[in-house]
Order: sequence, then C-alpha cells, then structure tokens
Amino acid sequence: MSNSLMIVDDSATMRKIIMRTIRMSGLEMDSTEEAGNGKEALEKLSSSPVDIILCDINMPEMNGMELVKKVRELSNCNDTKIIMVSTESSQELIDELMAGGANGYITKPFTPEKFQDKLSPFMN
Amino acid sequence: METEQFNDVLLESAKEVFETMIFMELAKADEPFDPKDDDSLLGTITFTGDMDGCLAIGCTVDCAKNVAANMLGMDPDEQVSSADVNDAMGEVANMVMGSVKSRIQEQYTNIQVSIPSVVSGRKLENSLGEKARRTALAINIEGDFTAELSILYRMHETATQAGLANKEVSVNAADPSTN
Repeated sequence: MSNSLMIVDDSATMRKIIMRTIRMSGLEMDSTEEAGNGKEALEKLSSSPVDIILCDINMPEMNGMELVKKVRELSNCNDTKIIMVSTESSQELIDELMAGGANGYITKPFTPEKFQDKLSPFMN
Repeated sequence: METEQFNDVLLESAKEVFETMIFMELAKADEPFDPKDDDSLLGTITFTGDMDGCLAIGCTVDCAKNVAANMLGMDPDEQVSSADVNDAMGEVANMVMGSVKSRIQEQYTNIQVSIPSVVSGRKLENSLGEKARRTALAINIEGDFTAELSILYRMHETATQAGLANKEVSVNAADPSTN
C-alpha cells in the first residue's frame, strides 16, 4: 500500500515548511504533489487522485473551502482524505469545513507531533 | 483591548510562531527598531470584522534572509532567493496574525483575515489613516537582529462610521526602493 500526498498552499515557503515538518514527524510518503491554489489542485486531482490532501484555506483563484466541495464531486477522489492547514481557528469555520467534506484540521503554527497525530490515522 | 494588552498578545503570538515554526528565539527588545538607511521589508496582513486593521512585521533585509533560511531549513551557506524571503515574511505575518486571532477570539469573535503582502524599501511604516490606534513592539531575534511588530486597528463602530474598508489599509513607504 502506498501513501500519496498533495500540498495545496499559495505560499511556496509554507509548502516547503509542511514538507519539512512531515519529514520531522517520521511519516513516510511515497509521492508528493504541490499546488498553489484550489484550481490548480483540482486540475491535477482530476487526472491523478491522491490519498491525502493538505489544504490551506485563504488562497487566490479557488480557496480551500471551495476546493473541498469540488473534490467531493470527483468520483476518483472518493477515498481521498482532506486535512485543512490554516491559521484560521474558529470552531464555527472548522465545523463548516468538516460538514463540507474535510476530514481533519491542523492550525498554524504547527508541530511535527500535530501532523503525526492528524495524518497517521489516514495512512495506509 | 488596551494597547498594553495588545503588546502582550503580540509578543506571545510572535514567540509561539518563531519558536515552533522558525526555530529562532524571540524576546522583547530594549532598543526600538531603527533600520536607519538600510533596506527593510514589511510583511503585512489586514483584517476586518469586529475591528479593522493591519498587522505588520518590519525588519532589515538581512534579518529577513536569516528568518527565511531558518524557516526553510537551509544551510547557512545556501543563498535564499528574494522570492523566498518575501514569501517567508508574508507567512510570518500570516501566522502571527493567526496566533493573535486565536488569542483574542473570545473577545472579538468576527475577524476576517486577508492574504498577506510584503513591501521593501526604506523607512517603511504601517498606515491606517485617522482615528487608528497603533501598538508597536520592538523584538530581538536570536540576539542578532532587532525587528518591529505592530498592529494598527480601529474598533468596528468607529470603522463603520468612518467608512473604513479593507482597501483603505495601506503601507506607506518613504523613499521606496522596490526590488
């Protein structure tokens, strides 16, 4: 069984930090894709689904909330888990995202332990 | 919220971000941030809702390069690109704002945060027009660099009366020298 990951964040720096944090957490991914916004992510997912998506909320073009809804309409992403990664921390927003199809939530700033805790239940 | 409380919130939020995500020690500085004629960067992020305003972190380009290199886990010898430095400064502003927001959300439940932006130049400072309150805090990073965190804000009622909109939040740069 393999584990494929997509990191969706408009900040290239944040994508690198997330990658580094995953390495520090000891989690092993077989492949990692990156996308700078929801639209780009959706295009890639349409042809190549992944197991886990780590997704920012505030992004240009298509934000994280919209991306969650769109991914849930893709038949090839039925089993894809979506973990939101954001500075937004209001419970109301988290509830809305979870109701919309997200599977978890990590707030920034984060630690390797947080990634271990939130991602490992979804790893193959 | 009083200015002194905001300073405490700012300091605690910045400490959390720098220690958790950037792996650099941060403390309140004794001396104010004074970049003189050095080129500086200002990472800013605006917010609207129960109060409207702008959070900023200002520091020299040299400091920003060190922060970016640490964030990215780069070796000391590696060159960090201008794009990465700008991106990193925006993310620092974003994460500090997120941390501030989580600390004050019981008091201010409705705060919407924008996407961060970064400007470079000399003698940069935040501006939010009249009636804005400003709190600023000089910080020391790793004992090597002095920087400044600031928040400009207006409470919602005042903001509504004054017709404040996010677009009015601006960054003034005296003698700008854009990269």
